[in-house]
Amino acid sequence: MDASVVAQIMSSTAIGVGIILAAAGLGSALGWGLICSKFIEGIARQPEMRAQLTGQMLFTGGLMEAFPMIVLGISMWFIFANPFIGAAKAALGAG
Amino acid sequence: MSESNATAISDPVGYINHHLTNMSSGTLGEGSVIDFSVFHIDVFLVSLLLALGLGYLGWKVGKSLDADKPTGAQNVLEMLVEFVNQQIKDIFPTADKWVGPLALTIFSWVFLMNAMDLLPVDLVPSLVGGIASLFGADPHHVYFKVVPTTNLDTTFALALLVFGLIVFYNIKHKGVWGYTKMFLFHPFGKFLIPVNIIMTLIEEIAKPVSLGLRLFGNMFAGELLFLLIALLAFSVWTMPAQIALGTLWAIFHILVITLQAFIFMLLTIVYLGLASQSADEH
Repeated sequence: MDASVVAQIMSSTAIGVGIILAAAGLGSALGWGLICSKFIEGIARQPEMRAQLTGQMLFTGGLMEAFPMIVLGISMWFIFANPFIGAAKAALGAG
Repeated sequence: MSESNATAISDPVGYINHHLTNMSSGTLGEGSVIDFSVFHIDVFLVSLLLALGLGYLGWKVGKSLDADKPTGAQNVLEMLVEFVNQQIKDIFPTADKWVGPLALTIFSWVFLMNAMDLLPVDLVPSLVGGIASLFGADPHHVYFKVVPTTNLDTTFALALLVFGLIVFYNIKHKGVWGYTKMFLFHPFGKFLIPVNIIMTLIEEIAKPVSLGLRLFGNMFAGELLFLLIALLAFSVWTMPAQIALGTLWAIFHILVITLQAFIFMLLTIVYLGLASQSADEH
């Protein structure tokens, strides 16, 4: 398994992870933006509901963070324990 | 101590990898996520110690409950119990008596395990490395990850337990035939049974998977950011930046910790409530 194969796999992984993280960040920011905008609208309509709405906002925000976090975890897995290197090693070693 | 700092400055990737490795018996195969031959000693020890501490605190305060003059610890625990009870009453009023203790245990244990992330990154690994070097081991190969929930094992163990309870509550309240009817006839009618099975299966499996991965992802990202902030101290002039950033991130992380424990508990209650509905209410 020579250096150029490893370099190619690593560079493709790096570009892929960059795209994944950009999408996760975008999704997370848009989601929070929508939740918080509705929250502020709700407070403007009914200021006495502020405490309940805050709790619900934080809760749904945390729920919605789930998928960006899952995507982040998968991309960290690609960086630290790259499965493609293992697969390439197996394929090249056998071939 | 200065030796490990020099290592950090000169080899940041090695520093991060050192702090992301568990103290385990046996090594993970390369690129594999599930490997049953590996046992993570540090995850087991820390979660066991926290659970024992929690149990001891509950036992000690419960032994000397005073209804007229509650002491500090009793007040805090009463607040916690009332909070969890309120959530259960809001979501799932016909809960049986085991849901409350389950929710309380999940909330407090997950919160304590998450809160270990607030300890300084180098503190416990250096201590463990120092103790290990007294016994002759090489401190560079002694790893210790202090936060159990940054490990997929812990979060999935909790999530799979909740999933087992969901199945148990479903069967108890709907019966085996009622449960299979839910798979066969929801959400479409009886002419689309394969579609119904697939969709309900995905919905049921998404519950524990999302529970486990949500907690893992949040905690792992938080820990990684702490490590990256710790690496900022590569020269004396960047130390104020590191202290400021570290403080800000730690304060934000307190919110994340509490929120994730609360979400885990709330979702457990919601799922168990859904599972306890009898078949015609679904």
